[in-house]
Amino acid sequence: MTSDKAPVGISNLPNQRYKIVSENGGVFTLMVCGESGVGKTTFVNTLFQTTLKHADSQQRRHLGIKRTVEIDVLRAQLEEKNFSLRVNVIDTPGFGDNVNNNKSWQTIVDFIDDQHDSYMRQEQQPYRDVKFDLRVHAVLYFIRPTGHGLKPLDIETMKRISTRANLIPVIAKSDTLTQKELHDFKIRIRQVIEAQEIRIFTPPLDDSDASDPAVKEHARQLIEAMPFAIIGSEKKFDNGQGQLVAARKYPWGIVEVENDAHCDFRKLRSLLLRTNLLDLILSTQESHFETYRRLRLDGSGSPEDPSLPARAPARKLSHNPRFKEEENALKKYFTDQVKAEEQRFRQWEQNIVNERTRLNGDLEEVQAKVKRLEEEVRALQARKR
Amino acid sequence: MSSSPSLIHRRRKDHRRGIAYSVLLVGNTGTGKTAFANNLLESAVFPHRYSLETPQLPGNPRVQIVKPTKVVSYNSKNGIPSHVAQFDASREHLEPGITITSTTMEISTNSEEAGSRASVSSDGSSSAATQQGVATDKILFNLVKTHGIGENLDNRMCFKEITAFLEQQFDQVLAEETKIQRNPRFEDTRVHVALYFIEPTGHGLRELDVEMMKRLSRYANVLPIVARADSFTREELANFKKNIMDDIERYNVPIYKFEVDPEEDDVETIEENQALALLQPFAVVASDTKNSDGEYVRSYLWGDAKIDDTEISDLGVLKNVLFGSHFQEFKDTMQNVLYENYRAERLSSVAEWDVDQQKAVSENKRDSGAPSLSNFASLITTGQFKSSTSLALRPQSETPPVAVDAKDSVMEDPASPTLRQISQSIRRGNEEIINNIKNSPRAEGPGSPDRSKLRNISETVPYVLKHERIIAKQQKLEELEAQSARELQKRIQELEKKAAELKLREKLLRQRHLDGSASSLRSRYSTDSNISQAAPQIKKEESRTDLASIVSGKA
Repeated sequence: MTSDKAPVGISNLPNQRYKIVSENGGVFTLMVCGESGVGKTTFVNTLFQTTLKHADSQQRRHLGIKRTVEIDVLRAQLEEKNFSLRVNVIDTPGFGDNVNNNKSWQTIVDFIDDQHDSYMRQEQQPYRDVKFDLRVHAVLYFIRPTGHGLKPLDIETMKRISTRANLIPVIAKSDTLTQKELHDFKIRIRQVIEAQEIRIFTPPLDDSDASDPAVKEHARQLIEAMPFAIIGSEKKFDNGQGQLVAARKYPWGIVEVENDAHCDFRKLRSLLLRTNLLDLILSTQESHFETYRRLRLDGSGSPEDPSLPARAPARKLSHNPRFKEEENALKKYFTDQVKAEEQRFRQWEQNIVNERTRLNGDLEEVQAKVKRLEEEVRALQARKR
Repeated sequence: MSSSPSLIHRRRKDHRRGIAYSVLLVGNTGTGKTAFANNLLESAVFPHRYSLETPQLPGNPRVQIVKPTKVVSYNSKNGIPSHVAQFDASREHLEPGITITSTTMEISTNSEEAGSRASVSSDGSSSAATQQGVATDKILFNLVKTHGIGENLDNRMCFKEITAFLEQQFDQVLAEETKIQRNPRFEDTRVHVALYFIEPTGHGLRELDVEMMKRLSRYANVLPIVARADSFTREELANFKKNIMDDIERYNVPIYKFEVDPEEDDVETIEENQALALLQPFAVVASDTKNSDGEYVRSYLWGDAKIDDTEISDLGVLKNVLFGSHFQEFKDTMQNVLYENYRAERLSSVAEWDVDQQKAVSENKRDSGAPSLSNFASLITTGQFKSSTSLALRPQSETPPVAVDAKDSVMEDPASPTLRQISQSIRRGNEEIINNIKNSPRAEGPGSPDRSKLRNISETVPYVLKHERIIAKQQKLEELEAQSARELQKRIQELEKKAAELKLREKLLRQRHLDGSASSLRSRYSTDSNISQAAPQIKKEESRTDLASIVSGKA
């Protein structure tokens, strides 16, 4: 306990921890979300500096022009200095591609919820050796660089995501906006995010923490740069000083991806990987997962029963409101058809009845005629006699 | 059928008043329509989104705004046209709906074309421009612009609104044409060219693009345009263009194609059209800011993109096509093919009309350079034939009640009684007019049955069309009113809820003030209740699944 003794080795604890962690490696799940053609795939490849994901072939895109939102999961193992990181990249192709995009966020939101749910249930098993954890640590929401503002679709989707995961909005393809346009665009987005109460992920700015001011300064810079304006490129070009850098080569100049003056790519990467990866993972565990868990268990009504989630979560497709709408429409169509058919049958029946009465009338008439004729015949016969 | 004398007449008139020329700018928000319009005329016509001021540009002396921008049609859930709305962060989640505005300008083209100055004569087409007969002094240029496409969650209403607008212009001309007494000051507002701005995704066409272009192409020459082409590098742009043309082929989108007739066109025209066909879709970079050298640029940190550079953008070519080489061509195709088709269809649905003869006439009228007939043939066949509203199915005297019956069933939704009264009185008035026309002795006057039929058509068609239009307008107004009422109701409810919440919070605060010890507990309770308010979002809503309930609900 006293300082004159030789160290017992308590101070080595961080090193032990380091060893364990570096042996186990880490897991990071990133979701990219945004309309098609905003550069999601390119960005992922630029971020990890490898071709993780190949651009969809034109054929695949043309499976149908009316599309539903899908979920693509891509797993990869990255190694840097003997530390391996398992990366799951989740793509949401088809988002925002349709004419009617109402409720198209449902698939994304459901996916995030499902991951929380599956983790929770694994945790509640007697042997809880969690094998499968695809909880989304960060969602990058790509905003189309219109230079105007956020669309209702963006706002609605971001609102829903932000209550479930760490949301990081980014301005895609920011090399199509001039400096002033970008500045105005960023300010508008920030105002909307504030006014609409969308909770985006911000790196923690602990004042009480005695961390060195450089870290704090960095975090402040990151916050100021939000939403990050990014560009992506898988190609490398000479930047004029003999270095090959990732860049986009336009006839009017070269845009460097890793140039802070051109875009915020470096800041975003720092946020995602270098400085705040742990924050992202921890806040997913501590904040978003806990919220989900509490809501789930609270809502189920019997939190006393620890062994099972009281209510088996409805993991069926039918809870997607879009399907619901379609179903209702189909049902309506069906009932209408049935009604129309019934109407037709009734008409038919009516016609038959009418026909019958008419025929009956005819018959009677004929019979009456026959009778009359018989009378006549009888009368004639009588006269003849 | 007998439109040609009136055409000639009108064309002569055009020369005095200026040639009417109408361009429609359609495309998703943020694709650069405003900048394109400002650049096209080299004057500040439109302000950018969220700014009241038009960009600082020296006014172009040759462009004079005759009729300032006005809203011609709109539809939105909030019941207000939203294109000039100021930025309001707290209302950004509301769908803006769609607004169509129209601006009329007078462009004087003294010695040269308005566009040819900017068009870098890459293909030496300035000579072609003058020969095409734009020798007059003035062009009455009508710029129709859409706002809000692609911004709504559900964009289907955009189609409806735009199609209705274009159809209305056709109807107006049709009504005017068939009138006995023609209005000499009638303004032709039909759209000649529709520029469709494709979002620079780098992939291909999306559902919205395909659907929109298909619909537009029934009423105007559609030119697809790659908007904001400065987001592509050279290879990407070439690739994107190819993808778009593939998609256009695949989905059979009848865009305007620069086709040539090797027998009739001269070599120069053939070459030009072939070059243009290869260039399609035009990639446009638009800007309304100039650099110090007086060139229009988009100025980036890494360099200035000069938009008049043909290497970068096809803007110059497009301008030349619009105002020079294909000016008359667009007008002719619209009049002789699209409008004639529409007219034939429309009249045959109003009355028994000799469609075959009509078609033969319109085919004779077609110019050599008319767009591919196969495309238009597919158009005609796919064009829906509104048999439900077709008046030809019934005897003539019954026409107005039919339309009204259909409307009455729609009218059941809540609308203010005064409005309904007004609309009914208007409708009654219209019916009277139509009935009067029908019952007037002139209609049954002497002459062969064919002729009386013709006269009948010429007398009734304008009014029937007008009548339909008025009813549609009324219906829309009612809908809008109902929508805004609903919106207001919703807002009132929200406010009430908020007030209740505030009251609750106030109570809590007061209690906390009174009872210090219990306050911590209670505040925890209040946060809990806040969380449980968020719960319904996560819970999936229950829904009616059994068929019986729906059936019984219907019955």
